[in-house]
Amino acid sequence: MSRSIVAALAVVAVLVGAVAVRADETCMSPYLPKITGQEDYLYVWTLGIEGVGDGSDKLVTIGANPKNAKTYGKVISQVSVGGRFEAHHGDFDDARRHFWVSGLDDKSKIWIFDVAADPEKPKLLRTIDTFVQDTGGVVGPHTFFALPGQMLITGLSNSADRGGRTAIVEYNNAGDFVRTIWMPKGAEYGYDARVQPRLNRMLTSSFAGAANYMRDFGEMAADPEAMKHFGNTMVVWDFHARKPIQTLEVPGAPLEIRWALQPRHNYAFTTTALTSKIWLVEQKDDGSFGARAVADIGDPKQLPLPVDISLSADDRYLFVDTFMDGTCRVYDVSEPATPKLVATEKIGSQVNMVSQTWDGKRLYFSSSLLSKWDKKGKDDEQFVKAYGWDGTKLTPAFAIDFKKEGLGRPHLMRFGQAQFYKNQVFAGGAGTETVAAAR
Amino acid sequence: MVARAGAALAVIVAVGLFGTAPAARAEVAVPERLQNVDRSTLSFTYEPGVFEPQYTPPAPGTYELPVITSIDDHPLIGSAGDATTLFALTGEHLAVVAFIYTSCVEAVGCPVSHAVLHGLDRALAADPALAKRVRLVTVSFDPDRDTPAQMASQRTLHEPRTDWRFATTAGGAELQSLLDDFDQPVAKLRYEDGKWTGLFRHVLKVFLLDGRHRVRAIYSTGFLNQALVLNDLKTLAADGGGSAAK
Repeated sequence: MSRSIVAALAVVAVLVGAVAVRADETCMSPYLPKITGQEDYLYVWTLGIEGVGDGSDKLVTIGANPKNAKTYGKVISQVSVGGRFEAHHGDFDDARRHFWVSGLDDKSKIWIFDVAADPEKPKLLRTIDTFVQDTGGVVGPHTFFALPGQMLITGLSNSADRGGRTAIVEYNNAGDFVRTIWMPKGAEYGYDARVQPRLNRMLTSSFAGAANYMRDFGEMAADPEAMKHFGNTMVVWDFHARKPIQTLEVPGAPLEIRWALQPRHNYAFTTTALTSKIWLVEQKDDGSFGARAVADIGDPKQLPLPVDISLSADDRYLFVDTFMDGTCRVYDVSEPATPKLVATEKIGSQVNMVSQTWDGKRLYFSSSLLSKWDKKGKDDEQFVKAYGWDGTKLTPAFAIDFKKEGLGRPHLMRFGQAQFYKNQVFAGGAGTETVAAAR
Repeated sequence: MVARAGAALAVIVAVGLFGTAPAARAEVAVPERLQNVDRSTLSFTYEPGVFEPQYTPPAPGTYELPVITSIDDHPLIGSAGDATTLFALTGEHLAVVAFIYTSCVEAVGCPVSHAVLHGLDRALAADPALAKRVRLVTVSFDPDRDTPAQMASQRTLHEPRTDWRFATTAGGAELQSLLDDFDQPVAKLRYEDGKWTGLFRHVLKVFLLDGRHRVRAIYSTGFLNQALVLNDLKTLAADGGGSAAK
């Protein structure tokens, strides 16, 4: 009987498995369901600017479906959180119903929005204002990575000295604290964390503490002592045990991490902010990992400051935003050790985040890095811009001026879809029916 | 590939049509209409194998399993049709609790859960000292079709060699309360006219409870790995059933 059960399960697996390999919406946890079709909404976590609108940090919802002309490329709704807290990152929980976002300042607040009840108008459910106290002094909740029933959060700093020593933190989905794991000796700084479940490996990267990221960029860059306090390491973890097992030297503040998504691609990419390089972090035959720089991004001497990156679902294209020249460079990374620059697009005077759709056909860009690092004067453009990608070039679709709209500095972007939350299949053409694109 | 997908739909339809007869007031699924569905959109998030474990789990006792949350007791219906509760099934044992629906054919969903619990049952049978401290519990969130008789047939199919319980619920508020407590979202996937496809959207979750009904691990895609769950059970067993954790 046992054999027959196993055989039956295997047959079912093969039958249902007759679908294309799909991957992430660019960078999200594999533990949350993906929106595979056309997105209807773009959620933008936005920093308030004094004198612009209500001046508060806010969650802005933008129409992203061109079939809906009334809302496409327009602001549909906004929810302010009543103050400026250095709004920065966030992500959905494992059911994609709740959207967690944070502020990086010393208060280190976390807000949890319900996007499922009415995806056009997210509603604030809960505010966690005890993060520093809960975690034993972690400051700057940065990356949010959904785990089953939990949210893994990386810190950037600590309350004792506001330096780069920090930790990884876990909360359960209800918003209750679970545990803090401080970064290991010799690799105390933190930034991003990404898990590759089939390898039971987590990679973390490293940036700087609040004393640096909450300081005026020009001032800080001119202070040699401050410039010593950036991360130069990545850590390989036994994820299930939450134990660091290897420290990799990656000089120049390695920031965003993207694991390759295809089944036999046991590698990840990162970029270094201060040295402007693409790094390949690759598993070796003995199971350990190595890191090596595989390409320059622009002219490193000009400090282009690579910030966000996005890897396409098929592991072919790596989109790299450089803040200083406001440019997105697209690399063909089919051969991961030899990236080839295939497209360059000037997005604006400055650019930071990039979000790519599941099918890789649309990309969204936002302008703000940090409130005190954004450019000054006329170069302080604040926008969200949508582009199409056809494999050779980026083509503008729409743009929203976040200052003119009274919104602020747009940072993190995530997608929403009405169909997903209605749990419906929709009538298709020629008498057919289609199942909801998101599962 | 198209043929295989067609076969997959046939499986869905067959299960829907010839599975357990729905109860009198149960909502009737119409899975046959799934044959008209654009196959490319009936794809699941990940293909089997994408997260096939390629690692040796950490050794028992070398890591911590923190308390994630606590679970209350909830009424259930046993596979013999008997009224019971979650705590009555788990007792003060370590428990691996899986939420499933027996019609599920998502390759990285409920079938994985069945396969892993089946494997755990056999592994525990080979370790009687550990087995007597563990309960396996499979609970359906599809009470309309997963009647006690259907759950009994699942039990018969798996021929448990250890203490593996199968249960369903009365549905309605009792089921919702149970799912909410475990933070296990489940939603019926419907056609535009509101008819039910027979499919559920759900995030695969299997829960490891300690002897005080506290969640110590939650497994999903990639980490629902028999060897890893077994090591977690050994880790908690060595820690007094996990009761020492605050």
